[in-house]
This record gives sequence, structure tokens and C-alpha cells, in this order.
Amino acid sequence: MNTNTMSYKLKQFMMFAGVTTFIFAAVVIVPFIYGFYLTFTSWDGVSAQKPFVGLSNYLSAFGDGAYWQALGRTVIYSAIAVILVNVVAFILAFLVTSGVKGQNFFRAGFFIPNLIGGIVLGYIWKFVFNRAFVALGNALSVGALSTSWLATTNGAMLCLIIVSVWQYAGYMMLIYVAGFMSVSADVLEAARIDGCTNTQSIIKISIPLMVSSFVQCLFLTITRCFMVYDVNLSLTNGEPFNSSVMAAMHVYNQAFTYKNYGTGQAEALILFIVCAVVGVLQVSIGKKAEVSA
Amino acid sequence: MDDLNERAARNRKIKHAVFMVLLIVLFASFIFPFLLVLINVFKTKGDINSNPLALVGSHGFTLKNFPEAMKKMNFWRSFGNSMIVTVSSTVITILLASMTAYVIVRNKWKACGALFGMMIASMVIPFQVLMIPLVSLYGGTLGVLNSRITLIFMHVGFSLSMATFMFHGAIHTNVPIALEEAATIDGCTKWQTYWQIVFPLLKPTIATVAIIDAMAFWNDYLLPSLVLGRKELYTIPIATQIFYGTYSTDIGLVMAALLLAMLPILILYMFLQRYIVEGVTSGAVK
Amino acid sequence: MKKKLLAMMLATAMTLSLAACGGDSGSSGDGGVSITIFNSKVEVQEQFENMAEEYSKAKGVNVEIYYSGDTVAAHMATKYSANDPYTISMVDAKDIYSLAEEHAADLSNEKWVENTDYAISVGGKVVGFPVCVEARGVIYNAEAIEGITGKEFNPDDYKTLDAFQGLLDELVAGGMAAPTGIMKEDWSLGAHFLGEVYEEQPDVEAYISALHAGTGDLAGNAKWNAKMDTFDVLKKYNYAASSPVAAEREVTEQKLAEGEIAFMFGGNWDWSVINAYDYSEKMGMMPVPQNTDDGANEKLVGGGSKYMFIDSSENTSEEQRQAAKDFLNWIVFEADGNAFLTEKCALVPAFSNINADALDPLSASVKKYADAGKLIDNYNYFPDDHLSKCGGLFQKYLADEVDRAGFAAEIEDYWKNTAPVEH
Repeated sequence: MNTNTMSYKLKQFMMFAGVTTFIFAAVVIVPFIYGFYLTFTSWDGVSAQKPFVGLSNYLSAFGDGAYWQALGRTVIYSAIAVILVNVVAFILAFLVTSGVKGQNFFRAGFFIPNLIGGIVLGYIWKFVFNRAFVALGNALSVGALSTSWLATTNGAMLCLIIVSVWQYAGYMMLIYVAGFMSVSADVLEAARIDGCTNTQSIIKISIPLMVSSFVQCLFLTITRCFMVYDVNLSLTNGEPFNSSVMAAMHVYNQAFTYKNYGTGQAEALILFIVCAVVGVLQVSIGKKAEVSA
Repeated sequence: MDDLNERAARNRKIKHAVFMVLLIVLFASFIFPFLLVLINVFKTKGDINSNPLALVGSHGFTLKNFPEAMKKMNFWRSFGNSMIVTVSSTVITILLASMTAYVIVRNKWKACGALFGMMIASMVIPFQVLMIPLVSLYGGTLGVLNSRITLIFMHVGFSLSMATFMFHGAIHTNVPIALEEAATIDGCTKWQTYWQIVFPLLKPTIATVAIIDAMAFWNDYLLPSLVLGRKELYTIPIATQIFYGTYSTDIGLVMAALLLAMLPILILYMFLQRYIVEGVTSGAVK
Repeated sequence: MKKKLLAMMLATAMTLSLAACGGDSGSSGDGGVSITIFNSKVEVQEQFENMAEEYSKAKGVNVEIYYSGDTVAAHMATKYSANDPYTISMVDAKDIYSLAEEHAADLSNEKWVENTDYAISVGGKVVGFPVCVEARGVIYNAEAIEGITGKEFNPDDYKTLDAFQGLLDELVAGGMAAPTGIMKEDWSLGAHFLGEVYEEQPDVEAYISALHAGTGDLAGNAKWNAKMDTFDVLKKYNYAASSPVAAEREVTEQKLAEGEIAFMFGGNWDWSVINAYDYSEKMGMMPVPQNTDDGANEKLVGGGSKYMFIDSSENTSEEQRQAAKDFLNWIVFEADGNAFLTEKCALVPAFSNINADALDPLSASVKKYADAGKLIDNYNYFPDDHLSKCGGLFQKYLADEVDRAGFAAEIEDYWKNTAPVEH
């Protein structure tokens, strides 16, 4: 059978990927294009009329100071959260592959936060920060705990970061565990005989060999942090004084609460472009590191 | 020599003890919110407010948050709906994504590259971008909202990218091409080779994708809330939205609902747990 | 292997067909008309559910009640863009104005129109059915006050801020360390408290236009200063003064219900939160005390609240529209409907023919003021982002992040940079 004809290729592709392509296009690509079209209209989200207005939504998006503030805030939040998530996940992974007793139990435990949905998770943590910590602070007379962290600008940001670390560290831990396990024992043994200490062998051997784990974890955490919405909504709802509104939440409010649907959609597209650029940059830098390692 | 071994053994013991303490501290901080939930779910609303740390509230131990939450969220019906949606979406995603990943890994065709590239790019599309277009296309133009099939279709559509990406990694690293060549020589078609040789080898990744997607589908709120506008179709997360509105939060009911909703996914996790690390491994490398 | 695959496919097919079963149940099985009602008052959701069941049985019309955790505007947007509207939607007044022209049925010929002063008309047609009357003011716990002062609490004695502050000092001296609570929610601060600053102006429309034009001079406005003086007092005696933005509504209302604090600015809807705790029966609502002679300190602010409209699109059949109109008539003219509104939901009726004797203490206060004509009207044309933006600014003031002059300047800026709402 000739495997190089167009019809063979088409048949094979349709057989294995045809349905996928159809569903993917129908659910993601077509709505994306339609959404792009909507950014050129002044639709209010409710009306049957969708008047064409050209680029004016992009102009108002660029002039929307609150949006750029939210985006800047999202960048700061993401930068801190991404670093902390990965540091914690890496430490966890190291600890649960070090051969201590019950490491499977710990692996399971650290993963459990992933089993709850973002909205509920936010409400639970709000309860923890607003009530439990405050009650604890008052009982032990610890000043730093006796008022809720959620009440101050920096505190609310800190809370969002803490919850993100709590939520994602377990998942990223699994990827790093996989990375640790893929570094063969022989190599480490050889290093030990050559006189490497534990710390040296982690820095000099394990980490360089785990670049692909880092690339994957960073990609996942960066995209998730940039698009954070659920936890933002249920944990802080933008408070105090709209100082914790992240980009996705601003987009949602702009489109639905303030009823500037086209502007909201345009701002969402800008967010998409920022995410895409950061994602691509990070992956290509990672790939280079991998090659040189 | 003996002495040296002994010292090494003692050092290792000390190291393990330190690690253990660290692990326990970290573990405690990870589990702390769940403990609070467990303590407070058996209290009345007033007692939760007045002292969230007390083991038993001043109104005593109460179970009433559970039946009340179950009644208000119509638990069994929502549970059934969530089950149907989650199981169907997960199974279909796994079948389709693994097939797609296979054809992409094994062939350097332009169509494969284009599809895979678009899938990767789509992973950074914020859902808000697609929300209204989805609703107005599927509801306004096609009129197919208010159906579980539409929801399953969309769930699959949104999760295919990530799943294909993970299977892509797994097939790339863990499926030796020699096995397939042998099968081809034995007269197997590509289709037979895939189901008889490749698919069974993907077990760890299947388990991983299953738990990750099942979790996402089970907990998803935004998409089902847009698609399912009829009560008899509500999934658990939509049925519980009544507990946390714009104006008030009934934290006791939220906690009860959380525990009720978490159980099935926890059980699934226990079953699949031993595969998961393996699964992530094969997806992660390369 | 083939068998396994087959089994898996079968399982999928089965779940899918199961899924299909539930898919097409838009119309009711028993042949009658089906209508859907969107309820946006979460506190009466259970009452609505029970009512739907009984109403369906009694009238042979299948009624289903829906609720959404989203904001009303966002939820309406998704329902309308999906061509899947409710037969009857309960929304806020401002939503009626934005939705009615395209989506609401004309109710001008309904009998109940003559029995109410609160219906909403758009373009000369009556479209909004008022669900209830609600009002804002200061909620008090008389039992807690009397326990300290030892004499009967009469809210009429504390119309001015000076008298009110005297009472607060007396309470503090008597052992109630902090007698007030403040809700930090943006809707309470931005829409309710700040709203009163505009609503109590001699000419609201003119003042809002002046603000848009940049000539409103908020900082020099007498009403603004009187209201903010009062707010400063509430703030000074706030139990959560050390971290006011962290105060949770549930906790504040529990303290008020149980007499730990004595006053909170709010509305009669707060009863739905208060009644979950060990509340005192001797509660009520009074006008916001202020040093003024315009009479505003003798009135609550409020009026019709939550409006129902009937969908006018082709997604709703003529039959369903009629059933929906029948339902509205049932509320106003039938004993069961009256009882549902005033007894089950404990809402203050917006219709003159409905009696309400069994109201909760807060609603009873509102009814008293409403019957005496002592309600200052709501202003229903605030821009959509006023609540969240100005509410956020108000939170800043509450947290002492900005002083009064700065706060006034920021609000003036907001109005200058916002397009007027057409109405």
C-alpha cells in the first residue's frame, strides 16, 4: 500500500483525528473567531442589535486605566505565585522522593487541594482568613493575625498568592516527582562516589536533567495564574476597594456588569495575547536550556 | 569500615527525621482548611460565626447542615447529572485525544502540525473570551442549549488540547516504534495496531488524564451554568450556587456541600493514585 | 482487547443515550402550560419553590423557579443571548429600564396597575410589576439599648446627629464598648448609603446632571456633609473600627440581632439574615440621623423594589404569557397570593389592596413609614458601574485610606468621566 498519497493521509488523519478536529473547531476555534468579530461591534450583551463600530472598542480598552492596572496587578501576582508554587512544589517533590516512610501517603495528601473546585475553595479560604485566623490571633494575642489579612491591599494579594500555592503546589509536585524519578540512580551513585554532596548533586545533576519538568510546570502555572478568576471572585471579589481585581475579573465586569460587551471582549483578547506571548517565550527559553543541558 | 557505615546510617536517620518533621509541618498546613471544615460542618450557623475554632458549638453537635444542603441542592438528581456528564466527557476525551496524539506523533504531516499548534495556543485562551460567543452560537443560532449532550460536547472540546498534549508526550517517549513495526509486518492495519498495541501501553497516562479531567468536569461551574438552564439538568456545582450568592454566604451549607461533592472524586483518586505519578512522568519527559 | 474496547464504546453510548433522555424536557409532561420564573431575591428562594409546587397543583400551570449566583444583569445577558429567556424575570429597577424596550411585554391593561404607585413604565407602557416595597435606614435593637439606658427607646428622639451621638456615648458609658456596625459591602456603601446623598437632594436629576457636568461641588454640598458627618459617627463607634473592611455581613448582623451592638445602617431585607440568629423581637428601622432641617431625618429612603417583567419574545408563547399574567394577578388579588407575599415571604406589599399585619419588625417599620408617606424615592438611573466603582472608593474612606475631601474629589471625577444614562 502506498502510504504517501494524499488520499491515504487524509483517510488516516480523519480516522484518528477527524472527530477531534471537528469538536475542537466547533467549541474553540469558531467561537473564538466570532468573539473576535464581536470586538468590532458595540453590542451591550442583551440587545438584538450589534452595530459595527470599527476599532473604537480597542481604543476604549487602551484608554481603560482600571484594566491596565488590573493587568499589571495580574503580572505581579503571577510572577510571585509562579515562583512560590514551583519552589514549594520542588521542595515537596524532593521530600517525598527522599525515601522517608509514608511518602505515598504524603503525595496523596498534598494533591488533595486539587480535588476541590475554585469557587468553593475561595469561600473556604475566605472563612479561614476572615474568621479562623482572626479567632486564632485573638486567642493567642498575636497582633499580625488579629485583623483579617483580606482587609488590606497587600494582604488580599498575599492571600490570593497563598491560596494559589496551596492549590497548585500538589499538582506541580507530581510533575517534579516524575522528574526526580527519571534521573537515574546510577548517575547519582556515580556522582556520590566522585565526592558530590547531596546538595551538589541536586544542583549539578538533578536540576539540569529536569529542565523539561520545569518547562511544563512553569507553562501550566503561568497560564493558570494569568487567567485566575474563580478564586479571585470567591476569595476577595476585588476587595478591598477594587484593589484585588485581576485581569479576568475586570474583563468579566466590563462585559457583563458595566454592559460594555465589545470593550470587555477586546480586553479579553489583549489578555490572551499577553498570555500567549509569555507562554511562548517561556517555552522557547526552556527548550534552549534543555538543549544546552 | 563498620564505623563508617554506622555513621552513614546514623546520618541518614537524622536526615530522614528532619525530612519527616518538615513533611508533617507542611502536611498540616495543607490539611488545615479541611480540618476547619470538618470541625465547623457539625455546628449551627451562629456557632460558626461566634467561634470557628471550638470543637463543639454552644448549641451542641448537629448534623442538620447535611440534610438541609442535600435537600436544597436536590443532591441525588444533581449527583446523577454530574456523574453522567463527568463520566461521558472523560471517556470521550481520553479516546479522542489519545487517537489524535497518536496520528500527530507518528506522522509529520502539515495538518497534524497545524492542529497541534492550534491546540497548544488554545490552552492560553481565557474562558471569558469564548463565553458569550459560545452561548450565542449554540443557544441563539443552533438552539441546542439545555442538554447534557451539548455540555459533554463542549467539555470535550475544551479539554482535548491538554489531553492531546499529555498523550503526545507519552506516546513520544513510552511507546517503542519497533513494536508497531512488528505489528505492521504481522499484517495489522494502523487502526488495529493502535488499539491492540499502543492504547494498552498508555495506561498510566490514561489514569492521569482521567483524574485531571474528571476533576475539572466534576467541579466546573462557569460552563455548565451557561449551558444547563433547566433545573432537572443541574450538576452539583450549579445546584450549590444558592448557598453563596452576591449578598450572603451560608458557610455551614457550603461546607456540607463541599464534603458531599468531594467524596466521589476522592474515591476515584484513591483508585487511580498508583498510576498517576507514572502517568505524569511519561507526559512530562520530552 | 477488542471486547474491552467494545464494552467501553457501549458504556459510552449508554451514558450518552441516558444523557439524551434528559435533554429535551422543555415542555411539561402533564399537558398544561409551563412557565419559568427567575427569582433574584435569594432569601425567599425556598418560599418561591414551595409556592411553585402548590401553585402548579392548584392552577394546573407548571411553574419552575430559578436563581443565579451571578449578578442579575450578567445572568439576563446570557439568557437573552442564548434565546432562552424566562417567562417571568424578577430584576432590579435599573435592569427593567435597560431590558424593557426590547424584551418586556406590555402590561398596561392589567387590573393591578390601578392598585399601585410603584409600577414601572417605559415608553408609555407599564412593563414592571413591583414585587415589594423596601427601604433603607438605620436598624436598631431596642432591647439592647433599653437594657443599658433603662428607659423606653423612641427613635423619634434621635433625629439629629447630636442627639444620636449623645445616645451612643450613653451606651458606651453603660458598657457597650462599640454600639454600631457598618457593612463594608460595596452595594451597601456605594448604592445604599452614598445613594442617599443624591436621593435626598432637592432635585435629584438636576444634581446628577450637574455632577456629570463637573459643577456639582460635592465637597461643598450640605447634604453630602450632613450624611458624611453621620457616617463618621457610625465609623467612630464601629465595633470593627480597627479593621472595618474585614467585617463580615453575617457576623455584624448576628451581633446586631443578639444585642452586642445596637445600630447598623441597612434595609428591611436584612431581616432574612438576622432571623437566622437568636434575634431580639424589639428591633426596627429609623431614619438616618442627621443634623439637617430638610426633613430627611424623618423619612426612610426606598420604594418599589424588585420588578417582574414578562418576556415578549417569540420564545414565549401567547399561552405562557397569559399564564404569567394570571400569576401576577394571583399575587395581587387572591387570598393565597396575598398570603404568599406578606406572610410566607414577609415582604411589604406594593399594592394598596393587600393587607399585611404579620410582617417582621423591620418590614413593619418600613410599612409604617410608607403608609405615612414618609419615603424618599429611590433613584433608579445610576450608571452600571457606579456601585462597584464608588463603592470601592467608599471602602477606601471607611478604611481611612482617603480623607473626606479626597473622597469627594474622586467621586466628582467619577461622574465627570462617566456618560449620562439616557432615560
